[in-house]
Amino acid sequence: MAAPETSTAAVPTLYTNNTLRNAFGGVLSFFILLLIGVMAFSIRLFSVIKYESVIHEFDPYFNYRVTQFLAKNGIYEFWNWFDDRTWYPLGRVIGGTVYPGLTLTAGTIWWLLNSLNIPLSVETVCVFTAPIFSAFASWATYLLTKEVKGTGAGLTAAALLAMVPSYISRSVAGSYDNEAVAIFALIFTFYLYIKTLNTGSLFYATLNSISYFYMVCSWGGYTFIINLIPMHVLLCIVTGRFSSRLYIAYAPLVVLGTLLAALVPVVGFNAVMTSEHFASFLVFIIIHVVAFVYYIKGILSPKMFKVAVTLVVSVGLAVCCAVIAVLIALVASSPTKGWSGRSLSLLDPTYASKYIPIIASVSEHQPPTWPSYFMDINVLAFLVPAGIIACFLPLSDASSFVVLYIATSVYFSGVMVRLMLVLAPAACITSGIALSQAFDVFTGSIKFQLSGASSNTEVDAAETSSSTAESQTDAVKTEKPEETAKNRPSRKSKKKEREHGEKPSTKAKAEKKRLLALPLESSVISLLLLVLLGAFYVVHCVWAAAEAYSAPSIVLTSRSHDGLHVFDDFREAYAWLRHNTDVDDKVASWWDYGYQTTAMANRTVIVDNNTWNNTHIATVGTAMSSPERAAWEIFHSLDVKYVLVVFGGLVGYPSDDINKFLWMVRIGGGVFPHIKEPDYLRDGQYRIDSQATPTMLNCLMYKLSYYRFVETDGKGFDRVRQTEIGKKYFKLTHFEEAFTTHHWMVRIYKLKPPKNRIRGKTKKSKSKTSSTTSSPKRGGTKKKNPWQ
Amino acid sequence: MADHFFTFSIITLSLFVVASSGGLESELVADLLTLQAESKSGVIHLDDRTVSKFLTSPRTPRPYSFLIFFDAANFHDKPELRLRELRREFEIVASSFITNHNSSNTKLFFGDIEFRESQSSFQLFGVNSLPHVRLVGPTAKSLKDDSDVMDQGDFSRLAESMAEFVQYRTKLTVGPIHRPPALSKMQLGLITALLLLCLPLVAKRIFAGETLLHDPKIWLSGAVFVYFFSVSGAMHNIIRKMPMFLVDRNDPNKLVFFYQGSGMQLGAEGFAVGFLYTVVGLLLAFVTHVLVYVKDATAKRLAMLFTLLVSFWAVKKVILLDNWKTGYGIHGFWPSSWN
Repeated sequence: MAAPETSTAAVPTLYTNNTLRNAFGGVLSFFILLLIGVMAFSIRLFSVIKYESVIHEFDPYFNYRVTQFLAKNGIYEFWNWFDDRTWYPLGRVIGGTVYPGLTLTAGTIWWLLNSLNIPLSVETVCVFTAPIFSAFASWATYLLTKEVKGTGAGLTAAALLAMVPSYISRSVAGSYDNEAVAIFALIFTFYLYIKTLNTGSLFYATLNSISYFYMVCSWGGYTFIINLIPMHVLLCIVTGRFSSRLYIAYAPLVVLGTLLAALVPVVGFNAVMTSEHFASFLVFIIIHVVAFVYYIKGILSPKMFKVAVTLVVSVGLAVCCAVIAVLIALVASSPTKGWSGRSLSLLDPTYASKYIPIIASVSEHQPPTWPSYFMDINVLAFLVPAGIIACFLPLSDASSFVVLYIATSVYFSGVMVRLMLVLAPAACITSGIALSQAFDVFTGSIKFQLSGASSNTEVDAAETSSSTAESQTDAVKTEKPEETAKNRPSRKSKKKEREHGEKPSTKAKAEKKRLLALPLESSVISLLLLVLLGAFYVVHCVWAAAEAYSAPSIVLTSRSHDGLHVFDDFREAYAWLRHNTDVDDKVASWWDYGYQTTAMANRTVIVDNNTWNNTHIATVGTAMSSPERAAWEIFHSLDVKYVLVVFGGLVGYPSDDINKFLWMVRIGGGVFPHIKEPDYLRDGQYRIDSQATPTMLNCLMYKLSYYRFVETDGKGFDRVRQTEIGKKYFKLTHFEEAFTTHHWMVRIYKLKPPKNRIRGKTKKSKSKTSSTTSSPKRGGTKKKNPWQ
Repeated sequence: MADHFFTFSIITLSLFVVASSGGLESELVADLLTLQAESKSGVIHLDDRTVSKFLTSPRTPRPYSFLIFFDAANFHDKPELRLRELRREFEIVASSFITNHNSSNTKLFFGDIEFRESQSSFQLFGVNSLPHVRLVGPTAKSLKDDSDVMDQGDFSRLAESMAEFVQYRTKLTVGPIHRPPALSKMQLGLITALLLLCLPLVAKRIFAGETLLHDPKIWLSGAVFVYFFSVSGAMHNIIRKMPMFLVDRNDPNKLVFFYQGSGMQLGAEGFAVGFLYTVVGLLLAFVTHVLVYVKDATAKRLAMLFTLLVSFWAVKKVILLDNWKTGYGIHGFWPSSWN
């Protein structure tokens, strides 16, 4: 901080002084950005420190497996990959059904590191991809906000984004999912769009298309971009802000972007065929019409122009109507009006709850309540309105984009809680603008009062930096105004001495502006309160990162009076499968565990988390809800060797299969009507105690979960359901227990081999005793099971 | 299951025999068809007399099933019963059924009974709660015990689920549901014409640059309103149809405005907190963009004092409410030597 002062004193002219200040500001911002990057990375490491370097949850395991395949076999093999380890016997074309952005990114990083002789494993690279991209995302936020409101706001916004809880929740180390890279791509695309809009450079327009391509590769949320940018263009046109820069920012994006998007196999012709993209084409036509009108206006005299307008309006209207009619016909010809259910539920929020229960049932598709906002963007919720207002004073093309971004994303987040992730960057940008302007005003006021009445210029400085986007020159103003406030007066007074002689004309103006400062004591208090607010934000974010969002859910811990317990049953079970079963054995489980089984145990599964085939899932659900014999037949027809169930009754793990069981019944019953939900409910209540229905007590899921459970405590007390189980002593006839993990959380059963026909007689008498109530249903199952 | 099928087929067989022989029954069916044609939606209005004529007096098995909607005009203004909406849906099912079968199907008729005018029929069916829809099959002897009640689940998806219920119980297909379009053709044409007329005017004003849209104040207030609307969780209230407040169960005179537990919120609660969220930002903007330009020093001082107090109070209130509602204990991670 001391360096520039000595140097400025030595340099005589204002011009050089400014250059030096800029250079100093540039270096300082660079280091601040570096620190922000380090912070963004390190705040996401709690999961690694508290647990270990491990991939989280379910979907990341699939991404991890795909990345492993990519690293091992190369890009062409990956592109053509047909996976026969999942959805047995159907298989899945992986290359054409995934968004490849994340996988390719991590694969490239791994390849790069290895060619530099840094031997990191694929898993390590995958674990740390998300934190690395969070750092990139905060830098992209800096660039975007800088384009809108200057460096100070940019740095503040970047610091806020580096630790916003909503984004942390999707990008902690180990959370290897699409959103991790997609948020960076989203912000960066917006930055390039704004940059093009501000400069009118075709270079940035091309980069923008490429960045959009990366976004399309990474996440289905790219439709947000391809609708938001046309909306902004339309807004600019309607409010009379059309310019050639706008044209350059938009037209190449639509043409190049759409062509590039169609290259991604999972998007393909959707890029031109679905309604999500139609808005961009419509605006593309409109912008051409408008550009043409402006061109004509330029070459004609006003009178001639009026004549031309009437002509063009009549012809243009006819053309427009024709085009719109074609579009409407196209849209109306498809049953969902060309919109996917998820997009429709954004436009009409009540749509999903009425018509698509499977979307409505997912917890991240619920509409959020006000505490969700406080949890996910915390104090930013207070600052955003100030940021919105700041964007209007004055309104530029860039700031109107930010307003549009925050307004649409906040509305969408109100419909679906998972879209809070898209709101978070917008909230950070607007809050960054608000905070930096508030700091400018308060520190400016304090400076003004402290340096006395003789100083005229400082308010001026505060004024210019707070008002316009040109304030980039004033780069020294960072988000640490407390420090700068301390340093400013001395430097300013020196500057003042020089300026006094040079610019007498500004004196009158400055005299008028002197009154613009706020009272000293209230400015100090406001500043303190704002710093306190920021401190609360930091505490909250660190807490959220450490406590709320870092659990990998593959390793569980619980803290009780006698210390920390670690439940590592999942990996124990998958390791058992990997080491003790044949490499081609098929393992059946509910779809939640499909990705993990293929990735960690390397065994073939019947269904997995990519729920593309409802019938197949229903078959497994039916098997789980059927009595032992029928279930055995279904599983046997699918070549299943092992059945895996997750059971939390012993340790009190609530998201186990018994709690998910009703969904299996519902989904199974949706395809095979002989499975009826009421059969499993006693008076509409789901229970597994002695009041449970016989169908429930005889179904496979019950038996596999509670087999030998009574041997643990003698009573069979289920700690999740808080009750003693209904049927305690029973034997399995068609399955045998193969492995049960340490805390009984995962239980693996082996299907007994089919019996010889000669023993038919004895078998008959046995099954008669085991389950009499369910015998008439067997015939039905046999007929309806599609695998026989 | 199998013996169900068996009895059902016997019933239908015997039903045909009876229908062809009995002249009285064909008369009843003809009467019903006339009544059905008279009613606009195809729902036959029943009262005590017609109930006895068509349902209680004819010998079982009757040649038709009856799906009856129990209505009460004096409960129409109770929104939680959804009587009006369900009745409209019921009528849609009825008219769709009739048009899909070209009004020639005499196996199923739709009827409604009003509570005030036919109280004895309500007793006959043993109906004591609404909404209530009942299917009286051809064999039902006692109206109370032998008829099928439509459960709550079958109302849930309105006409579609009612049609499924009918199909499941009577084995008669209802076919596609014909909903009346939201706008009639006449209205649609009128609106298009109006739009076309307005278009040149609008276009002219846009070129002139003097629409409301050119006023940034409109956009500003719009954006802030959208923000307020969303952070207050109003969308949650709309989708979940949350009430503004609840009445305390223990003390009916007391109203509950705040609900503990983060998965749910009440309407008033959301708006209150949404207001607190928004007001701080607005005050901050007021200070940074308006108050700076005020000349009067005391006014400035007072306004600042007010702003600081309100903002501090609002932030504190939200933090406290959030801790109370979610039960999270947010704490810092200080160096262990500090303790």
